[in-house]
Amino acid sequence: MEYTAPVEAHTGVVREETIGTGEKALKLGGENILPFHFFDEGSFPNAPTFALEILDMEPTDWAEHLVEPFKDVISDPVKWAKTCEEFGADAVSILLLSTDPAEVNSPPDQAAALVKKVVDSVSIPVLVHGSGDDKKDAEVLPKVAEVCHGKNLLIGPVLKENYEVVGRAILEHGHKAWAETPLDINLLKELNVKLCHFLPPERIVIDPESTAIGYGFEYSFTLMERVKQLGVIIKDSMTQMPMIANLGKEVWKTKQAKENKKQGLLFEAMTALGLLLAGANILVLRHPETLKLIKETIEER
Amino acid sequence: MVIIGENIHVIARKVSTAIREKDAKVIQDLARAQADAGADYIDLNLGFCRKDPTIMGWAVNVVQNVVDLPLSMDTMNPLAMEEGLKVCKKRPLLNSASGKTDSKEQMLPLAKKYNCDVVISVINDKGMPAEGDSKLDSILDTVAYANELGIPNENIWADPIALPVSTAGEGQKNALATYEFVEMLTEALPGLKSTLGLSNVSNGAPMELRPLLNHVYLIMLARKGLYSSIHDALDKEIMDISKDRKQNLVDLVYRTWDGEEIDLSSLSQEEINYVKTAKVLSGEVLYSDAWLEG
Repeated sequence: MEYTAPVEAHTGVVREETIGTGEKALKLGGENILPFHFFDEGSFPNAPTFALEILDMEPTDWAEHLVEPFKDVISDPVKWAKTCEEFGADAVSILLLSTDPAEVNSPPDQAAALVKKVVDSVSIPVLVHGSGDDKKDAEVLPKVAEVCHGKNLLIGPVLKENYEVVGRAILEHGHKAWAETPLDINLLKELNVKLCHFLPPERIVIDPESTAIGYGFEYSFTLMERVKQLGVIIKDSMTQMPMIANLGKEVWKTKQAKENKKQGLLFEAMTALGLLLAGANILVLRHPETLKLIKETIEER
Repeated sequence: MVIIGENIHVIARKVSTAIREKDAKVIQDLARAQADAGADYIDLNLGFCRKDPTIMGWAVNVVQNVVDLPLSMDTMNPLAMEEGLKVCKKRPLLNSASGKTDSKEQMLPLAKKYNCDVVISVINDKGMPAEGDSKLDSILDTVAYANELGIPNENIWADPIALPVSTAGEGQKNALATYEFVEMLTEALPGLKSTLGLSNVSNGAPMELRPLLNHVYLIMLARKGLYSSIHDALDKEIMDISKDRKQNLVDLVYRTWDGEEIDLSSLSQEEINYVKTAKVLSGEVLYSDAWLEG
């Protein structure tokens, strides 16, 4: 008897969302098949995209081989962002580390002015990630949203502790919400439900929290997988948003990635590949050579 | 449905203090209130009784002096269990044994010796079976062991174990497994009864919403043939449900569970909440603390 491979057809569609403006604006999501299930019926209109991450201050604890590609620009975030664009990044993600009260505690105005400069000097979309201090972010991120009015940035982390104030600024100034919850499907959905009381669901990108291989990667993987399955197969409207995997910062703080360059690149690439298979729509990396490696891997699929 | 009132429970500070100070009145008031509310058994959950196993005997006497109901004795300490069994006037329920080696060897012989009913949970040495089938397999093993000791199926109440529905997906899966278990049980083991600690399903959910999860879960388990439930006997609504006095809500839960598209606009807020909760407990909609808002 001849074997016929089963073909699945699902009716749930991940919302298609745009980040940035102009020619190089990115489209995320839009698929109604599971990640890389090209053998199923349906479409995957927007290939996954990749951002390179920069900091708003010179990093102090980065491995030498991670600093190396940026060594001439790393003290200037604007030049650093431009370099990322030259390396072929689809977007640049700026981590506002200096605003952290435990770091420099730099003021919201300064952070917002810098983001504006970065946005104005690159043609690729910009993602903005606060320090993660929910109270400080509640001051910094609305300011960024205001100063960059209409630039359609992806701004976060929008957390359960500050979603109202950050979410409303995102709504008012025409941006997208980078909604982050700590590795829990139920909390993830709850935050989306609450955000959707005032923010349209097509303005939310889900960050379920990424982890590096060997550091609880299985949790991130299965969680992303479930979010995608719930959206595409079960059609749970509150999980039908594109997903972001913010993995660079997780990978490059590990001993293994810091130890040597080859190991670091492979660590970042394997983590990224895993999260791609789990369903990430946009991934934040740190090393330009990982970016190259992973893009080649996808093209050769 | 046979209701085992859970309100005398050491997790409640009032109860633990009363037990420690041997304050009979607090315990007796709780027992009477549950009896008045329609409970069929009064559960005495005294924890491990590590310091003084005889406390179970004391509690049994205190309660049966004021209430004419059988008791369910809930402790993991076999010594305390026996202290209670010795003095029970009505045929009690030993709550509970499990498939763990210790429990089989220490609790089940007590059920035989005192010829009482016994709750056996699906937990075994490997932990807590997650699927309906594996829960049933575990019970089959433990029941076979109990039968060999001379405990007939008619004396055994099987507990598939309720888990919090709020725990990252596992809880919802477990809810489905409990329905399956209850449904399969009667056929697989004729004569066995089923029971479970209902309120655990809502552990971790927002406090004011916990009763709703308990109510809907009970309706769904009852549909599958659940014989008994251990729950808050002082929750009037759940007592109404367990005594078949809320047929409109029961019907609504059934219809939702059967996949009918329900027009919410014609429903009261209470009814809408029941529909939304039934969707969560049937696994159709992913749980979040905001499940009523979505």
